[in-house]
Amino acid sequence: MGNQESGDPMSLAIVDAREWQRVLDLETGQKVERDGPVLQMMKGVLQRHPYPGDTAAGSGAWVTDTALDLIEQYDPGFVSLSYAHLYFSARFMSVSEVERKAMVLGLFEEIARFVKASGFTPVVLGTGGMTPLVDVIDLSRLDGLALCTLWSARYCGLHGPSDQDMDAVARHPWVERIVARQEFLTLFGGTATDGLRLPDFILVSRPGYGFKAAGVPLRRTVNVSAPSFSIPLHQGLGEVRSLTEICGLIEREIGNRRIALIHVEGVGESEFPWPYTPCSNGREWYYYEPSEAQYLAATTGKHQVFAFPVGARLFDDDSENEPYPFSGYFNRVPDGTVGQRLSVRSMAVGNRSMFPHMVYGADVSIECFARNLYNQGCTGVIHRDDKA
Amino acid sequence: MYLEEHGEIQERFPHMWCGCSMSRLESLPFYHAYPGARVLTIGTSSCNMSCRYCSNAYVAKEDPAWQQSGMAEYSAKELVRLAEKLECHAIVFNVNEPTVSLLSLEELAVEARRAGLPMGCLTNGYMTEEGTERLARIFSFVNVAIKGLSDDFCRQFLGIPTVDSILRNIRALARTHHLEITTPIIQGVNDRDIDAIAGFLASVDPEIPWHVFRLLPEHDMKESEYPSIDGINQALQSARQRLPYVYFHNFVGSDWVNTLCPGCGVEVIERFSLGCGGDRLSKYHCEDGRCPKCRTPIRIHGERIAWGTKRAVTR
Repeated sequence: MGNQESGDPMSLAIVDAREWQRVLDLETGQKVERDGPVLQMMKGVLQRHPYPGDTAAGSGAWVTDTALDLIEQYDPGFVSLSYAHLYFSARFMSVSEVERKAMVLGLFEEIARFVKASGFTPVVLGTGGMTPLVDVIDLSRLDGLALCTLWSARYCGLHGPSDQDMDAVARHPWVERIVARQEFLTLFGGTATDGLRLPDFILVSRPGYGFKAAGVPLRRTVNVSAPSFSIPLHQGLGEVRSLTEICGLIEREIGNRRIALIHVEGVGESEFPWPYTPCSNGREWYYYEPSEAQYLAATTGKHQVFAFPVGARLFDDDSENEPYPFSGYFNRVPDGTVGQRLSVRSMAVGNRSMFPHMVYGADVSIECFARNLYNQGCTGVIHRDDKA
Repeated sequence: MYLEEHGEIQERFPHMWCGCSMSRLESLPFYHAYPGARVLTIGTSSCNMSCRYCSNAYVAKEDPAWQQSGMAEYSAKELVRLAEKLECHAIVFNVNEPTVSLLSLEELAVEARRAGLPMGCLTNGYMTEEGTERLARIFSFVNVAIKGLSDDFCRQFLGIPTVDSILRNIRALARTHHLEITTPIIQGVNDRDIDAIAGFLASVDPEIPWHVFRLLPEHDMKESEYPSIDGINQALQSARQRLPYVYFHNFVGSDWVNTLCPGCGVEVIERFSLGCGGDRLSKYHCEDGRCPKCRTPIRIHGERIAWGTKRAVTR
């Protein structure tokens, strides 16, 4: 990774807070003085497409418009898009079935508009549906620490529980499963080192239930992830049975066509309006919720449950000098992502914030800069600009 | 929120908390207290003002009774225990307005003090003198919002008749507490108050850190234009001549979040601004609370404490 144009191995971030931009070293967060045609191009695209907000009606159109503009400027062979509007809206807002259906169809019209205008061959992955939150499992008063991370509703980490805690969760009717650290490691073939970051136990809620524990979002949750052992995949390139096979499919086919990998968050098999095949979204009892780990599994071809383990004390990894301050819990650029593996030019656009520039490994990317639905603008990232 | 029962004022929803989570103290913002500290952030429900641009309206403006099922019930001891389990160095009330939950907070303060955990808060400062005294007994560091000065602005944007009581309370708190001030700027509305607010702060204590926010349009003002960063920055030039600790942020990548030594102008504390996603300490150059170059004292409340340090701060 590196920005060859400027002559040093630095990934650049362009933060755009509306009518105001700064160029930073993505790794250190420090302001840097750089210039060049790709940087100027990215600044222009950012300026032309102010982000309307995570739950705004125009959020999906923003992804399409920004992507089409960036394609025109950068001429990539591989594109990654994430449309997260449906997930954010459903998570915190109550909408009727009719409204929801219209939102899903409206979003797929946006995707169709992108496909038609760009000519890219689409690989469209719904990351799993949503279901109304029925109730929460109150773990706030345990002796040990109950911790939900990364907006997870199905999984909660339990750290240092007492015997009474274990009795209480075992008897709780809405706890579907209690998974010990070693059991989770065994399920995904993890090492002892992987286990260091895992909670002592992972609690799994029954469908429709969430947790009341440290780390849950401040905004009141309306819907949570529906059971998503398999998720819908629309593509016509070859057989894919698992999330982890998508990356390989793209690698095999990219020599024959230009491909767009499109994540559609918050949509599962029951709502997916296009033809699809079911795609395995985990292993045995475990399925991914929309998250960094789910994206990475698709873009690296490997399960990534240990990169961002559910219920872990991820905040303990943090420090003042932790690199990549604008990239959430990422403290390095992940290896082996699809964008890195392809020799063709690659780009990403998404209204998921914080991690598209990491998980896709695209040469250049643009994403919204929103936190907890607060719309602060956009971020552009240039990992490299040396591809012909 | 309170009710009167049998001639006594009681809290409607005692010990019901929202947002029990962790944060960096810089992100709340406190720039001159316990630099680098990890804090447990807490809130309750409702507010005593009616700001048109409230950024936490989903807590402060919703019916508190409706919210209770989503909130966590913690006794004071349990909440302190949670802070310890998360290895936090302090507890900060930052979601809604602390004066609506004074009774629970008073109990919490007793337990927090026992555990050596200092408490801080963000407040709109709109309260009686007695309320201020009670607030002062709970918290050792306080960030008060001065949102505007004119009566028109107060009525139209905040739902209160005047800012007078807020200014009175700031004067009182400044005598005894570590105080920081926050002012969200709405261009064309309260930016004309910038110099007057700076003058007020200079008259109270020029070393009070002042956080000038670019307003993030939310709630009833969600469709408003984002204020101009360059315009507000220009308007702050005169204030910077009078006050040594003026910061301009609440947007990602701000250039104006570092502390400069009032004596020689070198950077003594460096920070990143992630906007409302949270600011963070980057480098702390002070030595014994002084500029390493010219030895000018830098106002800091409490000690510098690294995020990962596994011990509570002692006061």
